[in-house]
Amino acid sequence: MSVAEFEGRQVLEQAPQGLWSDAWSRVRRNPGAIAGFILVGFFLILAIFAPLIAPFGPRDVVAPLTDAFQRPSADHWAGLDQQSRDEWSRIVYGARYSLVIGIVSVVVGLTIGLILGGVAGYFGGTIDSVIMRCMDVMLSIPSLLLAIGIVAVLGPGFFQIMIAIGIVNIPIFARLLRGSVLAQKENDFVLAARSVGVPRRTILFSHILPNSVSPLIVQATLAMATAIIDVAALGFLGLGPPDPGTPEWGTMLSDVNRYFVSGPHLAIAPGLAIVLVVLGFNLIGDALREALDPKLRGR
Amino acid sequence: MLRFVVRRLILLIPILIGLSILIFLYLRALPGSPAVALLGERATPETIAAIENDYGLDEPIYVQYWRYTKNIILEFDLGTSSQTRQAVTEELRLRFPATIELAIGAMIFATIFGIPLGFIAAKRYGTWIDQTSLIVSLIGISIPIFFLAIILKYIFSVRLGWLPSVGRQDPLLDAEHPTNFFILDAIITRNWEAFVDAIRHLILPAIALGTIPLAIIARITRASTLDVQNEDYVRTARAKGVSPHTVDRRHIFRNALLPITTIVGLQVGLLLSGAVLTEKVFAWPGVGSWLVDAIENRDYAVLQGGILFLAVVFVFVNLFVDITYAYINPRIRLS
Repeated sequence: MSVAEFEGRQVLEQAPQGLWSDAWSRVRRNPGAIAGFILVGFFLILAIFAPLIAPFGPRDVVAPLTDAFQRPSADHWAGLDQQSRDEWSRIVYGARYSLVIGIVSVVVGLTIGLILGGVAGYFGGTIDSVIMRCMDVMLSIPSLLLAIGIVAVLGPGFFQIMIAIGIVNIPIFARLLRGSVLAQKENDFVLAARSVGVPRRTILFSHILPNSVSPLIVQATLAMATAIIDVAALGFLGLGPPDPGTPEWGTMLSDVNRYFVSGPHLAIAPGLAIVLVVLGFNLIGDALREALDPKLRGR
Repeated sequence: MLRFVVRRLILLIPILIGLSILIFLYLRALPGSPAVALLGERATPETIAAIENDYGLDEPIYVQYWRYTKNIILEFDLGTSSQTRQAVTEELRLRFPATIELAIGAMIFATIFGIPLGFIAAKRYGTWIDQTSLIVSLIGISIPIFFLAIILKYIFSVRLGWLPSVGRQDPLLDAEHPTNFFILDAIITRNWEAFVDAIRHLILPAIALGTIPLAIIARITRASTLDVQNEDYVRTARAKGVSPHTVDRRHIFRNALLPITTIVGLQVGLLLSGAVLTEKVFAWPGVGSWLVDAIENRDYAVLQGGILFLAVVFVFVNLFVDITYAYINPRIRLS
């Protein structure tokens, strides 16, 4: 047996692994990713089962007002807030707002960004220039300012925040997909598909898009982290829900800024909740990036 | 090099035009007529008609847009605040230096600590120092600025009383402000008491605003140092017997700095966004806290002018970063 044959056989004997199963096995071996999944999973469970987990309702006044700003105790794990509501229960219900707004706004940004970026990259020419110059204009406004501007027009509220943060995300995804499409367009399989007469839309949706998915997944995970911070930031600036009693983490933090001297401990719980869930998404995003990056594969 | 700069400047034109259209349409997209927005609740049909005539709001939209841009370019007129009745540009002149001072302070903090942190982590790749720096920078990226700002304010000014918690200057202090950059002003007027006071006020906001850039800079420095470390020319230099210290400094660090310059520049957008939150917590009288107040007061002229101004600043800083990068990196300049 020649050396080449021997090496060839060795290569064949290694079970062929697809991108996804390979990536999944790498993610599973990454301790950071596991920590990330645990953190995000924890908050997902809080959000889904909030009524079962929270000992009190998020708006219930659970003690006489004279007990407001009570420090953490066995009955009230995170203490009482300025209106004697149970802080821990509010954090649990708050997970719903942060996660739902985060997911919806990323999906909005992702969907519109995908369409614009895909069209721009695939058709090129004038369409490409017009779309991408519009994206450049949007990117030229610092993201939080853009979100603030949009919320100022639409008025405060959850739906408005989702739209605002979704819009902020559009140019990021559009650029990413356009770059990816431009790179994929030159591939032989696209040429092959075109030469046998596959319609353009089919080429875009069944040949190019699936091959651009991995950077999008990474970006979407990291965008979740940013979206959750932005949601809290808008809440902190008083642009959150119109009802001040809503247990939204950013709004809760802005309350603390007001009752600084009486209840500094009230900053810890909502702040920590934001840090942990954002950290979770960042850890997962980093691990996915490492796992899906073709340059790092096979190492 | 000149061709590169000219090309980038030409690319800027459509962006600036698009930006001005967007911001112009922004005020028109607001609920109710702009006259109502200007007048607030005191609006009567007569005053609205008078204002619309005054401002030419009854003319076709393209005429309005043309006048709007002409006013900005020729007279630097961004309108009048409905709250203070002052010109937006006049308030910008007073407030923008505060934001720049804060941003520069934050950037100095971020680079002074971020670059060495990333470099050391890369040199000690895989050790506990590296792991710690990775974890610390990951947490740094995940902390909301306003949460960090609240904690810093609580610990260092409310609890320990080491540093002031709000504003740029002790209200009892007598100081002149020819430029509105308080630190610079103190140096010009040789008022050392004001100098120390200005720096003491700047420390906490600058740390709060600088932490995320610090974490990002540390991560990029680490990655780029690791890349450069394995280059052939580094091995060659080592093989020639160049001392490890010189290799670190002249071969690795210098080349690793290239991507860092871009990253430092790209943080500007983040700084401008973050300044809004930092200024809110520390009652820092800059552009950010002004914009937040403008939303609360429904002062749309300020919102429109302020966002346009910051966006233009952002665009030009990015241009400057690109040019600097091209200047440092001959591969881009010559292509």
